[in-house]
Amino acid sequence: MASHAIPTHASAASPSSEQTGLWSWLTTVDHKRIGILYLYTALFYLLVGGLEALLIRTQLAKPNLHVVSAETYNQLFTMHGTTMVFLVVMPLSAAFFNYLIPLQIGARDVAFPRLNAFSYWVYALGGLFITLPIFFGLAPNGGWFGYAPLSGPTYGGGFNMDFWVLGLQILGISSLAAAFNFITTIINLRAPGMTLMRMPMFTWMSFVVQFLIVLAFPVITAALFFLQFDRFFGTQFYEVSAGGDPLLWQHLFWVFGHPEVYILILPAFGLVSEVLPTHSRKPLFGYNVMAYSGIMIGFLGFGVWAHHMFAVGMGPVADSIFSVATMLIGIPTGVKIFNWIATMYGGSLRFPTSMKFAIGLIAMFTIGGISGVMHSSPPSDLQQTDTYFVVAHFHYVLYGGAIMGIFAGIYHYFPKITGRFMSEKIGSWHFWLNFIGLNLTFFPMHFSGMLGMPRRIYTYDAGQGWDLFNLMSTTGTYMLMIAGLVFAYNFFSSRQRGAAAGNDPWGAPTLEWSIPSPPPEYNFAQIPEVASRYPMWDLKAPDRTEGIAHSHADAATIADAHAVPVHEETERRSAKELGIPMPFPTIKPFMVALGILILFSGLIVLHAGHFALAMATMLGGAAFMVGSLYAWLTSPLE
Amino acid sequence: MLKLHLRRFAPAAALAVALLVLAACGGEYPNSTFSRHTELNEGAVFLWDRMMLLGTIVFVIVEVLLVYTIFKFRRREGGPGPRQIHGNAALEITWTAIPALILVFIAVPTVRTIFENQRKAPAEALQVEVIGHQWWWEFRYPQYGIVTANELYLPIGKTVNFSLQTRDVLHSFWVPQLGGKRDLIANKVNHIWFTPSASMEPTALNGACVEYCGASHANMRFRTFTVTPAEFERWAAHQKTVAMGSPAAIAAAAAADSAAKAAAKSPVVRAASVVPAVALAPHTDSSSAPEAWVFPAEKIAAYAWPQTPLPATKFDEALLASGDAATGRALLTNPANLGKAPCLTCHVIKGETNYASDDNAKGPNLTHVGSRHTFGAGLYRLDAKSLALWIKNAPAMKPGSQMPTFGAGEYNPAIKAAVPAAAGLDDKQIADIVAYLRSLK
Repeated sequence: MASHAIPTHASAASPSSEQTGLWSWLTTVDHKRIGILYLYTALFYLLVGGLEALLIRTQLAKPNLHVVSAETYNQLFTMHGTTMVFLVVMPLSAAFFNYLIPLQIGARDVAFPRLNAFSYWVYALGGLFITLPIFFGLAPNGGWFGYAPLSGPTYGGGFNMDFWVLGLQILGISSLAAAFNFITTIINLRAPGMTLMRMPMFTWMSFVVQFLIVLAFPVITAALFFLQFDRFFGTQFYEVSAGGDPLLWQHLFWVFGHPEVYILILPAFGLVSEVLPTHSRKPLFGYNVMAYSGIMIGFLGFGVWAHHMFAVGMGPVADSIFSVATMLIGIPTGVKIFNWIATMYGGSLRFPTSMKFAIGLIAMFTIGGISGVMHSSPPSDLQQTDTYFVVAHFHYVLYGGAIMGIFAGIYHYFPKITGRFMSEKIGSWHFWLNFIGLNLTFFPMHFSGMLGMPRRIYTYDAGQGWDLFNLMSTTGTYMLMIAGLVFAYNFFSSRQRGAAAGNDPWGAPTLEWSIPSPPPEYNFAQIPEVASRYPMWDLKAPDRTEGIAHSHADAATIADAHAVPVHEETERRSAKELGIPMPFPTIKPFMVALGILILFSGLIVLHAGHFALAMATMLGGAAFMVGSLYAWLTSPLE
Repeated sequence: MLKLHLRRFAPAAALAVALLVLAACGGEYPNSTFSRHTELNEGAVFLWDRMMLLGTIVFVIVEVLLVYTIFKFRRREGGPGPRQIHGNAALEITWTAIPALILVFIAVPTVRTIFENQRKAPAEALQVEVIGHQWWWEFRYPQYGIVTANELYLPIGKTVNFSLQTRDVLHSFWVPQLGGKRDLIANKVNHIWFTPSASMEPTALNGACVEYCGASHANMRFRTFTVTPAEFERWAAHQKTVAMGSPAAIAAAAAADSAAKAAAKSPVVRAASVVPAVALAPHTDSSSAPEAWVFPAEKIAAYAWPQTPLPATKFDEALLASGDAATGRALLTNPANLGKAPCLTCHVIKGETNYASDDNAKGPNLTHVGSRHTFGAGLYRLDAKSLALWIKNAPAMKPGSQMPTFGAGEYNPAIKAAVPAAAGLDDKQIADIVAYLRSLK
């Protein structure tokens, strides 16, 4: 078809290279393999966080139940929140950032491949650091929000919150390193002709998210340093008896915490913005507005943090400002919803599982958005905050929104990543179990909340009018667990036995579909020149892209050298054969990450009272880290 | 495929929603946030109703559009290809402007209500100090000199101005039926005020801590009794007296007695002296003391009676009937027993020799504990058996409880060790203490 096709040949489902074995995974610097590592690790933690939720809901199935103790319950809900935010949704998004951004912008890797490996290993080791203590009854127990002074040394004196403070510090390093990497990648490594306004919407939303991470994470890092020093070195930032201010923590935490919500949701918005046009056979409706509304959401997201704090008594002026600012966020978000529907409107829709999940996001996120606007009104919010109504709200946003969007992305990109389709039949079961399960779990929480049930309680008394709603929520959670198992079965069986998918199984418009599935290690044998937002459609369905701004894809242009070379491979060639320089695999990023883990672990030893051992651990960890870093920086990239 | 599934699941979904709505309308909801008992509730419910209406409209429009689009434009064999529309400035401006307009209708009353709710409280308001502890509530009425715990009495029709503080971590004060949550922040005094409506029936309401505060956050509950102003005065007049049987009470009774005799001798001053005597003087003699009025137990609805299951702690219940209040009082108040029954090092009983003051007491003020309906922060009914089990082993009844285990030989889960037999209280002694505490009406 394409005159520029490169005559290479490979069977679709062959592994992306000859690299196999544990060592190859420990040393990989390939953004695709790192993306896969993120995906598997985050899916594992999704199971962990899901099991935590299952125990929580089992305890709350009926009044006055004691399946787990109060202390265990408090650890479970703290870890459920911490796990889902930092170990599941963010890394699942990171899996897509890693895998897709270079493919979507026509690059051979991210800007700093070894830093990318480092980000992953810091995440993986930090995740273990914060998760493993639960097996010793030492898991964090101060809530994922870690409010001082309960998280401080006076009222949270055990090891539990040590693991939380240090674990989040470690995970923050990973997020920040990755964010700088992706910003540099998107700014510098776009293929010729890939202007900002030609970038796929997922890359756009990812771009916004990286800036949110870069701006929000330093705030929590500072807040955590205060807490860390309070806990280990006797400073008194939050120490009440010394006049410390617990509200300082709350402000700092939510200055990070609210943008964090958009860090979690915007990548899912991006994925859905890829899925919907593909299966509607129509370009994204209002591309510019979709990009700008993402930026607006990110920008406004920094001005609304105190709506988490209407009950602390900030006074009427602050309450009003944060209330109105919060309402404003509803506008760009609403625009996105309407633009997605308009993308489908008039299209030619088909409904593979990815599309079902994408539509599911629109339907469910709308509910979370509306209850969000309700929270923006403080007099009304004061009856809702810290009740199950809020739990309902943010699960519609984060489960109905982020998780649904990520599932849409997994079903959509599975053929690209593995070269095989996931089963649509099982996928459909997964979607419907998930859809019904999530509504059965979270919709009744609106009722239990408005009927006065507080959050974070390990048990409740009988006769409060909450029994039925809680039982429904618990039933729904079991359904979600079954849905998760159905997904896992589909995922692993399809990886082995799924039908082979070609380069472009869905008829999608963007660059990543021009290369083989799975892509070769170098991605693009020849860096494409881009002349349009929808290069693949220019090639295959030019009627869809006619007249699109920032594109000049008429028939003549496509026939011309500006079109995308489609790699119709029949036999895979290695980078070496093609003369493409690729970065060397290296263990050093892993070693630096390990050094950081050892360094932070020393503080736990310090808390245990072994001063000399603690010093040895920290100095040893620091030396190991610096040494490995030196070796890393002095060895050539490629 | 999708259509097939929708057909299959739509009836089930409709049924589920119908069941939910039915359940929400049919049952009894003692902690509903939709009551209109105070001005805070009025504002919240007004805003809720408006947002619910506008939200429902938006929800229906979005979901109908979505479902219509899914059905109308699904791919058909040989059907028309997609119509290629890439954007429409007018449409996009419309669905930016309309939500903005809707938000104006929410924002204006919101800001107005915020400023109304946070006006300065009327000067004549009843002052109540709420003090949070891990994990119980202290309530003080400074205008009356009352310090009590876990049971809040509020006169209907009168504005109550709460000032809120915490002695440890953050807590949050909330009575859903009265509205207006407010956090208790360390190193800060917070405020909230509201007026239980004069048209409200005297009733018992549940309240709870709604800011996560550690192990027993779920067990930090309290009761609110809204009572008529006359009942409130009767309750307050009694609550401010010193404990029954205490040296202070006996001395005061003697003083009141001689004052009454003196008054009888000079009838001219009688009218003037009796009024403050009734208002202030403590009494032990029930004939002259203010009647110990409390919210009548029979008017407390089922939902306000705690149903927390009692632990398996063994106790010889036969002893409870023969518990002797005087012996119990001696156990508590004799300094020789401080090792075994150090109650007054953490609790205050007004009129007795206390080792703690109200400002540093770790546990609730017990001066009139016998007049309460619940204890343990609303966790248990105040009956002899529950109280006995509590004294014997509180940590087994409330995770993380700062009240230690006192029963001889009992296992203290907090310190993972049993109380030595010689250092603990036996069941007989506990029964006596229970009898004494219950006599503190």
